[in-house]
Amino acid sequence: MTALCKRTLSLCLLLSLFIGAAYAQDDIVIDFYFPSATANDAEGIFQRYADMFEEENPGISINPVFTGSYTDTRNTILTELQGGGAGPDVAVMLSIDLYSFAEEGYIVPAQTFIDGMQDGDAYVSDFFPALMRNGVDEDGNVWAIPFQRSTPILYYNADLLAEAGYDSPPTNNAELVEIAQALTTDDRHGLLVPVAGGFPIWMYQSFAIAFGHNIVDDDPTAVYFNTPEAVAAVEFVRSLGTDLGVGPAGGAAWGDTPVAFLAGQAAMIYHTTGNLTRILGGADFEVGVWYLPSGPAGEDGTGYGSPTGGGNLYIFDDGSKSQSELDAIWKWVTFLSSPAIQADWGATTGYIAANASAWQTEPLASLSMEHPQYLIARDQLQHAGKEFSSYATITIQGIINGTLESILTGESADAQAALDAAQAQIDGILADYR
Amino acid sequence: MIAKVWRARLIARLLPYLLIAPTFVLVLMFTVLPAFNTVNDSFYKPARGLNAAGKSPQFVHLQNFVDILDDSHYMGQRFLRSFRNTLIFALATVFVAVPLGLLLALLLNRPQRLLGIWRFAVFYPALLPLIGAASIWSFIFSDSIGLANAVLRSFGHPGLNWLGDRNLVLLSVIIVNIWKQAGYFMIFFLAGLQNIARELYEAAALDGADRFQQFMGLTLPLLRRTLLFVSVISFTFAFQTVEQLQALGEGGPADSANLLLYLIFQNIAERRNWGYVNAMTLVLIAVVLVFTLGNFLLFERSESER
Repeated sequence: MTALCKRTLSLCLLLSLFIGAAYAQDDIVIDFYFPSATANDAEGIFQRYADMFEEENPGISINPVFTGSYTDTRNTILTELQGGGAGPDVAVMLSIDLYSFAEEGYIVPAQTFIDGMQDGDAYVSDFFPALMRNGVDEDGNVWAIPFQRSTPILYYNADLLAEAGYDSPPTNNAELVEIAQALTTDDRHGLLVPVAGGFPIWMYQSFAIAFGHNIVDDDPTAVYFNTPEAVAAVEFVRSLGTDLGVGPAGGAAWGDTPVAFLAGQAAMIYHTTGNLTRILGGADFEVGVWYLPSGPAGEDGTGYGSPTGGGNLYIFDDGSKSQSELDAIWKWVTFLSSPAIQADWGATTGYIAANASAWQTEPLASLSMEHPQYLIARDQLQHAGKEFSSYATITIQGIINGTLESILTGESADAQAALDAAQAQIDGILADYR
Repeated sequence: MIAKVWRARLIARLLPYLLIAPTFVLVLMFTVLPAFNTVNDSFYKPARGLNAAGKSPQFVHLQNFVDILDDSHYMGQRFLRSFRNTLIFALATVFVAVPLGLLLALLLNRPQRLLGIWRFAVFYPALLPLIGAASIWSFIFSDSIGLANAVLRSFGHPGLNWLGDRNLVLLSVIIVNIWKQAGYFMIFFLAGLQNIARELYEAAALDGADRFQQFMGLTLPLLRRTLLFVSVISFTFAFQTVEQLQALGEGGPADSANLLLYLIFQNIAERRNWGYVNAMTLVLIAVVLVFTLGNFLLFERSESER
């Protein structure tokens, strides 16, 4: 062994002693994994929250770990746990990941902790009901707490609409098509719906709900992918790029859509509220925001409707954690979901602050007065449906995405036949759970 | 005295084993054992359903292989399509990127101005991390804001949906791969060309052979070994492609550009698919092995016949 090698090794040993000593001060350390799906400085923001929390709660330290995209985060955690590693104590993961992790026995219901709270009911009922829908199992037990939540909304270029003589945004599909066609030119799309690029299911669900039948309900062993409404919805989305000609055939790509909108190459887009802050800041025209237009199911509210999206807070325990550790973990979860942090988080990122009282809390209260666009996303939640989630979510979502893509790109001309085939495959998988 | 000789002999006999021990242990732990597990696990279906984590997997003989070859099965559909794509992708790499690398090497093996810059420019894509290079291309291919469509539109063409059109997206991924690999292959050919003695060409020229005849009769036969090596690595590289799909539409739409290894990666997350993942991995290994051996034997034989 060379001298350099020896020196490095002894330095490492020495360092590890110090690190060990630093952690030996009886601090409870909470490993907190988080993804980022937007251009926000998530690492900086979470470090700030961790510092605030540690100041209020001596004896608990937070170790925020950035784990990449939502998919990366899920795979990181699964790999760690399946390999016998410790994994996180708390993590932000997609709200639809619930059954994947519950099935493996990696997470514990938040309900246990809520039952132990003095004002547990008040804590839960402050969250918007639509945002709880994906965090609750079929028996009504709360598993996950809403955190960075979003929903698709309609963004429109108010200047272009006004030029063409429309002073208000479309409220139903007929008006949507009419305005989109009026605003389509050689170098501008009338309407971009981002259903290309691997994840059409989310946008598609808005249409399925608007046509009258969501593809999921509260039963995680049921999927409704070949109903007449589901067929009509996918045919409508396909027609936007074909017969109606208001967007590219096959749909727009996720990342290109807001870029094209900001560049004036699209008059209206469907996109996530998670991009609201960025779009409002980047546009040199007046940005309008409205509910996704209602479908044939009706403008009484039944035909409005978008899925929700984004991430929830999950608590990990294989039964080995002490009560004081679990208490500390729950403190961190309630801290992140408190109105004060949600107001700050919502204002900084554009995600929908998850609890009603956050909207009366600064800085969100003034921001939403200044930019009423933020309120639209919140108010649309009253019409929102459950985001797609079932047992074997990842596999089934893969089937749905592949089927939608093959219909939208013209590979499967007969939508009904394609959806029937997919439904049969899905039922085959869900049979294991029924 | 005798003991000393014995000890020296013992050490001499043991030393080679001791020296290869670290490598052997690593290969055993990270290659041989996982490979054995893969074969074993491909005969099982993992436990599915509620509280699956506690249940033991079920032995299903060859059912996993039957499923992935069944076009109406959800995994079979994806596997067959990705398998076909991988073959097209690999053949395109071998039959386009390798000749292109050879052509570039021939062009850049002659003295000319700025030779270093030309060589660097052609080799440069090989230095870029693949995921970074693919991200650059995803901007180039972007439908509304991309460079490729900007060029097409300046000629009056309405533009192509490079990553959204199911008939184009595999081609887009292949273009990126060829751009990335051709320069890399060129380096091998350049090295091979510089090993060929100049006198041979002079002698050939004296005999009246023109450029083309020199290439067919001299360069190509003498580059045979390099060509074999480059073809084999390009083919196996093609089967290892993962990163660029991440940036170029994740194999979509509807798997029209998906490749085997990426499909395997996509399906690791859910326990219920682990049997399929193992079966697909075995097929992947088998194909690479057959092609590599076949390629090798073919070239070896013609080599010894000469």
